[in-house]
Amino acid sequence: MKTKKKMVISQETMDIDFVRKVEALSDTSVRRCFQCGKCSAGCPMATFMEHPPNRVVRLLQLGQWRRIIEGRSIWYCASCETCSTRCPNKVHLASIMDALRKLSWDADGPSKESYVQLANKLFLQNIRTYGRQYEMRLAAVFNVKSGQFLKDLMLGPKLLAKGKLKMFHSKNKNMTEIEKIFSRIEEMRKKGEAL
Amino acid sequence: MTPPNIMEYSYYPGCSLHASAGEYDLSTRELFKALGIGLTEIPDWFCCGATPAHNVDELLSLSLCAKNLELADQIEGDVAVACAACFSRLKTAQHVLGENDVKRKQVEKAIDAPVKLNSNVKHLLDILAHDLGLERLAAAAKKPLAGLKVACYYGCLLTRPTDVPNLDCVEAPTIMERVVEAVGAETVSWTHRLECCGANFTLSRPGVVIQLTNAILDSAKAAGADCIMVGCPLCHGNLDIRQKEIEGVYKTDYNLPVFYLTQLVGLAAGLGPDQLGLDAMIVNPTPLLKEKGLL
Repeated sequence: MKTKKKMVISQETMDIDFVRKVEALSDTSVRRCFQCGKCSAGCPMATFMEHPPNRVVRLLQLGQWRRIIEGRSIWYCASCETCSTRCPNKVHLASIMDALRKLSWDADGPSKESYVQLANKLFLQNIRTYGRQYEMRLAAVFNVKSGQFLKDLMLGPKLLAKGKLKMFHSKNKNMTEIEKIFSRIEEMRKKGEAL
Repeated sequence: MTPPNIMEYSYYPGCSLHASAGEYDLSTRELFKALGIGLTEIPDWFCCGATPAHNVDELLSLSLCAKNLELADQIEGDVAVACAACFSRLKTAQHVLGENDVKRKQVEKAIDAPVKLNSNVKHLLDILAHDLGLERLAAAAKKPLAGLKVACYYGCLLTRPTDVPNLDCVEAPTIMERVVEAVGAETVSWTHRLECCGANFTLSRPGVVIQLTNAILDSAKAAGADCIMVGCPLCHGNLDIRQKEIEGVYKTDYNLPVFYLTQLVGLAAGLGPDQLGLDAMIVNPTPLLKEKGLL
């Protein structure tokens, strides 16, 4: 049986600097939360998470962010924003999730949830290369890279027959512009002008 | 000679409408043409970044949206958006960039242009219900959808973001019901109209989508709906494309055709199946529409 790691709340284990970064990125304060739990009650993905949304905020309040980053909760958030909508204290939880994912992503964090991260990565690569999203390519490359060659194989022929999978797409003629946006952002980050 | 358009918009279709949601694009163009609403596609628009971009890189997400708003600015009129996710991203970007000077300056540097926040971003529903108006919409319904019981499915992003005045009330919207009732359909009252379908987990974690979408289909069926109406290509993908698979997993039979709002309104406006892309739907709507005398 797996034993749960006991949480020790002390000055040594509380990392508040990281939490401040999350608050700055998300433009919201975790201290406003009084744990009513409305966010978790309305969250469609809470059943798939080891830490439901209200506990994510509680862990942040206690500076225990590592527990969040190591788990899969942030990657199982669907960004439906129901939590932010219903929060009586205007804690923008959807933005907190974005900030946590960004910090974990940038640091190549230890989360075991690799499929969602792989899908995100391929999605963004597609935008950089093509300017738009090419669904067929996205799905095909995802299957290859995740080693699930047979995933949704039965859907393929049907979608092709219905014209839902396009082999060729209308090309965006403005491709240099998109590459410039990506590289300018990289440049700004190198210079420390943006997070 | 066709009469001049009564309204003009710039049109942001979004990536899905050029691929898996081709019938949404087709029916939107045909319906708006029939209603006398002009749509000019924004030249060389980019992907809005959707969920993956804001998930891990807010600056990129804001910059992509700001770039699209800049491109839209070349064209006269408000921005018409078909996809609920694109709509929500563009609205959010406008809100954040208007409020946060630091982020706005960073984005201006990234796109190397001033941020343009003046264009009014509108979902197609907004245009039909408010700009055109329900009375004119009802008058355009040559073949009212009498006897068709529709479950209007909003999903999550259609009424987001929540911090700005938007399409409709976030917790109890009625705009879809009002639009489809204006063209003669009946609507059902059901529990899951605002629940998330799992959206883009369809690629990375389809098991999640199957579970969430099953609950939605189950609720619509239990409420006595003949079909579902959506305004988002991701919801459509999950409800329509995965429906057979879900029926297999849960050993049940839903057989609920999933229409885009423009397909149902277009049908009432007298457009033919070819103009609405009905043959692209995975759950075949023809038997239902024939039974109701609508085809």
